[in-house]
Amino acid sequence: MSADGIDDGLEREVAALIAREAMLLDRRRWDEWIELYTEDAVYWVPAWANEEETTTDPETQLNLIYLRNRGGLEDRVFRIESRDSYASVPLDRTVHLIGNVLVESANADSVEATANCIVHVYGKKGAATRGSMYDFAFRRVDGGLKIVRKKIVFIDDRLEGPIDIYHL
Amino acid sequence: MDGAAYPGSFRDLVDDRIDEGIFRVDRSIYTDEAVFEAEIERIFEGGWVFLCHEGQVENPGDYFATEIGRQPVFVMRQKDGSLGCFINACSHRGALLTPFKQGNARALTCRFHGWAYDLGGRCIRIKNEETGFSDPEFSRERFNLRRVGAFDSYKGFVFGSLTSDVPPLQEHLGAAARWIDLLANQARNGLEVVPGSSTYMIRGNWKLQAENSVDGYHVTTVHRVFASTIANRETRDATAGMRQTEAGRIKGNVPTGAYDLGNGHMSIWALHTTPHVRPIYESRDWLEENLDPVEADWILNRGRNLYLFPNVMLMDNPSTQIRLMKPISPDLAEVTVYCIAPKGESAAARAARLRKFEDFYLTAGMATSDDVAALEAVQDGSAGRLSRWNDMTRGLPDLVVGPDEDARNLGFEPAGCCPDWDHEGLFHGFYRAWADRMENGAAAR
Repeated sequence: MSADGIDDGLEREVAALIAREAMLLDRRRWDEWIELYTEDAVYWVPAWANEEETTTDPETQLNLIYLRNRGGLEDRVFRIESRDSYASVPLDRTVHLIGNVLVESANADSVEATANCIVHVYGKKGAATRGSMYDFAFRRVDGGLKIVRKKIVFIDDRLEGPIDIYHL
Repeated sequence: MDGAAYPGSFRDLVDDRIDEGIFRVDRSIYTDEAVFEAEIERIFEGGWVFLCHEGQVENPGDYFATEIGRQPVFVMRQKDGSLGCFINACSHRGALLTPFKQGNARALTCRFHGWAYDLGGRCIRIKNEETGFSDPEFSRERFNLRRVGAFDSYKGFVFGSLTSDVPPLQEHLGAAARWIDLLANQARNGLEVVPGSSTYMIRGNWKLQAENSVDGYHVTTVHRVFASTIANRETRDATAGMRQTEAGRIKGNVPTGAYDLGNGHMSIWALHTTPHVRPIYESRDWLEENLDPVEADWILNRGRNLYLFPNVMLMDNPSTQIRLMKPISPDLAEVTVYCIAPKGESAAARAARLRKFEDFYLTAGMATSDDVAALEAVQDGSAGRLSRWNDMTRGLPDLVVGPDEDARNLGFEPAGCCPDWDHEGLFHGFYRAWADRMENGAAAR
């Protein structure tokens, strides 16, 4: 391992985890997806404060999604699986393409990484391709990495169609 | 395009025979290009529309860029503290003057040729003026920005009209003003617009958004899943206090009502079964001591949606919202949502208000996304022209013309009252106002 705690093995492990999350979302394996997160995981999609900056403080500013623990993700899955959500029946099809994965910092218990994601979505009203920047924090639990924080800067606005966890 | 391009009377699109038990609208009002063009001219560019909240232009030089119909305008806070509203186009060659949707400027300088305007819209600089114009008396005054025809605000909510041929704003708002009071008067230090917004496109006609925002009847179907999701959460997490979400209205087991407020404005309300989980509840003592008891009761205990004809909705239900709508084409509308909140509320109340907003109101939320899907389905279904009419007669036997007891007690004069928000009588007022404006043209009062 290098002096900053980042080596090829860790970079591969992080890239594989982020790709695995994308795969589980695209294939609608919701329960396995939720298991990637710790119980206390924060899932945050800030709103845009103006053309150039997102909001920065969820306690005082508006967000597209701000979930304070994994239960928030479970709510989303509960709603999708109910088949009672107008916006979620039929479900949009999605393909996530992950790139630019960079491990920013690491120590024995925690890792931080960034990545970009393009999501191509096809639904009732046609197709869209949208971009996001991911900021991840991971915690090592029983030898493996779990997501303890995911911030998604969703660069699009004037949004068409619903924006749910599988679109991001 | 003028009305002559439409091969009939717009009034025929609203089948208003209430004495015979009929009220229905022709589905082409959601799809027809000529109808839409006339709406832009006669409704959006021919009368009052909502522009912004004063809190979005708080300090001198603060501007807010928006549109009236299709015409770009900006609201500017002047040096003397007053507000002005101008066509957002350089008097020279027409470039938009505001680089951002919202910002602050000491003067607006056109980024094309460098002409500049002060906060009052006066042209104060023409680049190379002395070398470009032969007349030494050449006057910049003729290039002052064009002000809109009418401009006014009510309790912090700012409205404008391209034409000056409109009634005073207070007369336009009529009974709806009292409903704006219920939002404005709950904030002892005034309201502010919270940073952050979201803009989304509705692939449906703007009138479907107007209908949906005050349609109580869909709540127990479209939002049943929101209620079940929240119930599941609150059981799982043993949620307490302001983190709880009021769901009684969704289950359909509380008193409700709906109003035709006149001039096309509409509103609905539902009693909260758990008002203590609302962020405003921390102000209960102040409200009860300082406001009329009936008004305080409405603020604390009744969730409310208000639609102001033609382009804004003010919500005070799970959270507090300004929902601004711009029609783009018959089957496309742009909506921008803002969270509006009492200045100086506690940090816990502000955070709770935001979480409730995000839970419900955004297309990334768990309810508005379903609303949008529902009204887009109406847009798609409206192409089925062989079946011509949308029916709006539900609740007709119980429709009250003029004020009911609630309205008299709070002090407003609705045109009609529905004793249940499942009823559709409020839409009669909306479509009568729509037909009047469409038939009488821009100068309609």
